Amino acid sequence: MRWSMIAITLMRVFVGWHFLYEGIAKLSAPSWSAAGYLKASRGPFSAMFKSIAAQPNLLDNVNLITSWGLAIVGVLLILGLFTRLASLAGIGFVLLFYLCNPPFVGYFYSIPTEGSYLIVNKNLVEIGALLVILTTGSGQFAGLDRIVHALFARPTLATAR
Amino acid sequence: MAGQDEKKSSDGPRKLDRRDVLKGLSTVPALGLFGYAWQTQRKYQQAKAEEAAAPPEAPKDLQVVNVALLGAGAQGQVLQDSMLRIPGLRFRAVCDIWEEYNQKRVVNTFRKFKHEVNAYEDYREMLDKEKELDAVVIATPDFWHAEHAISCLKAGKHVYCEKEMSNTLEGARSMVLAQRETGKLLQIGHQRRSNPRYLHCYNKLITEAKLLGRIVTVNGQWNRAVSPDLGAPDRYAIPQARLTQFGFKDMHQFRNWRWYKGKGGGPIVDLGSHQIDIYSWFLGANPSHVMASGGNLYHDPATHEWYDTVMVVYDYDTPLGATKAYYQTQTTNGSQGYFENFMGDQGTLLMSESEMNYPGTLYRDPNAPAWDEWVQKGYVTAPKEQETKPKSEGAIADVRESVSPDQHTLPVTLRDPYHQPHLQNFFDAVRGKAKLNCPAEEAYMTAVAVLKVNEAVEARAPLSFKPEDFKV
Amino acid sequence: MDPRSPSRHTDVDGGLAIARDLVGIRRFSHEAMATVYEIYTVHPDEQYAAQAAQAAFDLVDRLERELSRFQPNSDITRINQLAAGAHTRVTPSTLECLVIARHMFELTGGAFDVSIGTGLASLEIDPDELVVRASTTRVRVDLGGIGKGYAVDLAAELLEDWGLERSLVHGGFSSVLALDPPAGGEGWPLTLSDPRDPSRVLARLSVRQTALGASGVRKKDHIVDPRSGDPARGRLASWVAVARPPAAPDGGARTAPATVADALTTAFMMLSVEEIRELCARTPGVEAWILPDDNERAVLHIVGSDTA
Repeated sequence: MRWSMIAITLMRVFVGWHFLYEGIAKLSAPSWSAAGYLKASRGPFSAMFKSIAAQPNLLDNVNLITSWGLAIVGVLLILGLFTRLASLAGIGFVLLFYLCNPPFVGYFYSIPTEGSYLIVNKNLVEIGALLVILTTGSGQFAGLDRIVHALFARPTLATAR
Repeated sequence: MAGQDEKKSSDGPRKLDRRDVLKGLSTVPALGLFGYAWQTQRKYQQAKAEEAAAPPEAPKDLQVVNVALLGAGAQGQVLQDSMLRIPGLRFRAVCDIWEEYNQKRVVNTFRKFKHEVNAYEDYREMLDKEKELDAVVIATPDFWHAEHAISCLKAGKHVYCEKEMSNTLEGARSMVLAQRETGKLLQIGHQRRSNPRYLHCYNKLITEAKLLGRIVTVNGQWNRAVSPDLGAPDRYAIPQARLTQFGFKDMHQFRNWRWYKGKGGGPIVDLGSHQIDIYSWFLGANPSHVMASGGNLYHDPATHEWYDTVMVVYDYDTPLGATKAYYQTQTTNGSQGYFENFMGDQGTLLMSESEMNYPGTLYRDPNAPAWDEWVQKGYVTAPKEQETKPKSEGAIADVRESVSPDQHTLPVTLRDPYHQPHLQNFFDAVRGKAKLNCPAEEAYMTAVAVLKVNEAVEARAPLSFKPEDFKV
Repeated sequence: MDPRSPSRHTDVDGGLAIARDLVGIRRFSHEAMATVYEIYTVHPDEQYAAQAAQAAFDLVDRLERELSRFQPNSDITRINQLAAGAHTRVTPSTLECLVIARHMFELTGGAFDVSIGTGLASLEIDPDELVVRASTTRVRVDLGGIGKGYAVDLAAELLEDWGLERSLVHGGFSSVLALDPPAGGEGWPLTLSDPRDPSRVLARLSVRQTALGASGVRKKDHIVDPRSGDPARGRLASWVAVARPPAAPDGGARTAPATVADALTTAFMMLSVEEIRELCARTPGVEAWILPDDNERAVLHIVGSDTA
């Protein structure tokens, strides 16, 4: 039994569940919008995030992509399907969330949060988790990727497994 | 890649074997589990939403309180409006000497809300005849408060009496004694004591977080524009005999009793007592000295015996140190209306009862520690972003961006009429479910502080209080 | 009354004005509901008239506290905050105003909609319990198009109670109620003018026991058609007169002509001329003037049944 891979698979399911619920919660709330989070942006990219919030059409698209994107990434991670793609997308999302409201020195937000953070917050930790998932092939260990790979992978010489 | 099963890959596409399928599908049940958890949560949320759609009748186990309203004038009608929104009250009687007008209107309103009330002119007859009465709400002129409240307490009723407790100190004192003697509840109508914003400021901001630091000075006012005396429609005039019977020399005095000596105490008592009550409450102390200047600067002295303008300075010895509080009331100009401003060495609290004007703003002194913790706890809102002023061109020195104090608001809004929470508190206490927020003994201390002001104006000299003055 | 020359008229948004230099008329004014309310009255006792006017203005202030959606603890704000299935108790005045609003919604085929398309039908108004229940969270009610008229109606009734029958009450001149005229006159003299050119008088009226409502395009596009969601165009102004029936002898069902006029004038900015004709024909005592936004700007006068 590869305990480390089992542990990583468990982590992948946890992260996937988290993403899926975040996505579904936004989809089922009739009036969710990223505007609040975007408008509270601080840091080097705050101007860009705030300008997204200010353009209604762009904002609508962002809301759509965020809510569906999170849900889809979540499902893919839970199932272990297209894991690398899903992990990359997940890293992309969380990186944006992190950069929008980074816990740098002297920064302060109105969004109620628990815990105390300095530079490293849960977003960054989740990025770390996704990096591990990305680079360890957990989907191929215990996930639909294993089936997909078995059915469709082309034979290559010396494919490093 | 790490973790892959050792299998030779050079043989072409592997066949799918059973181990692959098992391991491949191993995490699919997690999705099923998610679906189940999510559905459970949805059902729970739906059930909660249905619960919130409760029927308008009071819950079955809410003890019904039988109530009479004594005094159907302007304030009586305000209290009526609030009480009609409180579940579990059954109105039995209305007593007012103006049968032709106010009494009729208030009775009709009760009937519209399906309360079959009996109408009385004489409160003694009401207390005699109404057999099922638990509480009386008193909104008669100040000079009647003592007699009305004491009689009702002695008749075994709980009493909610409008402020000021009485127009005389002896009257107020006798009310406290009657309450002690009878053991019934006596709540005085300083409704800010139950206002959620004021409670939030007192409990969370001042007592727990101590956001203002040490409150060294206080400023407050109630400014009102000139308005004509209250009149009455000719066709509903009260016969002189009845007016005399109840202590009024004419219809004008009946409508404007607040301005007459022996009946009310003038604007400083009508308006000031609310805010001076808050001063003592928030400072946690009774005043030690008072100095006041006032006069009737504008109105006709024949019909305005009390002062239309009063400016007061109180001294307090608070637990944190000495404090001076200024208060003014005037009835010739309404500039900036009414508010209380508490100024401490670490912050300022500017507020009023109004949900519209001065609903509550806090300013953090730039030298005070950050209020982040309190923002995250939801005690105050996040600071409004301050616009930084641009540096002026050609400035030689490094012009520091102007630092205005961070501005926060209160995350509490009152959605009900202003007097509702205080009346609710009274009725909860009647049912044994709460303690009074403004019991008579507490209100007595405010009465002492407020009634002294008119004395101080007359004396043209600073007056002192002794701690014993505030106890009965 | 003799027509007054245009130069004596004040510049008024809704294009409705009264000659200001009437002799012997007492005038009292008061700011409320973001406009200026005025009472014109004839009474020998200045002090008594002032006290009556103050009582009327106190009533208007009370109504504002109950009906304004800008006051955080008004009945209307509480209604707008209701979660689906929740309810709140309201005052008899609020209830009456909502009932009239609903009636006007039906009468105008949805053109007058205090919920501006967010679903007036999903508010259940219970006149027995004096409670309003919301079945969805979306409903937003704004009584701006009817609140002034309602305040004017109630203020006028109060003045009558005080014995000031010879009075006229208005709220920003967008809602006017003329009671009995000064002695010797047939009615209170009013003029309707082009809002874009106040010196151009379109009609002169002499009114008694009649309510008038005026709507005009002050700023661009400020009236929204609830049926389409777009701003109403094509109309510069509309005025509606509603006759005030005599009070029933024992108080009976109270009528609210200024409230109705206030609502109709808003609706008439959006309805077509045929629809307006049809509505006036089936509603007794209603008369309308429409000023279309075209080159001619000729006012159209539509008389319903039972009007002189």
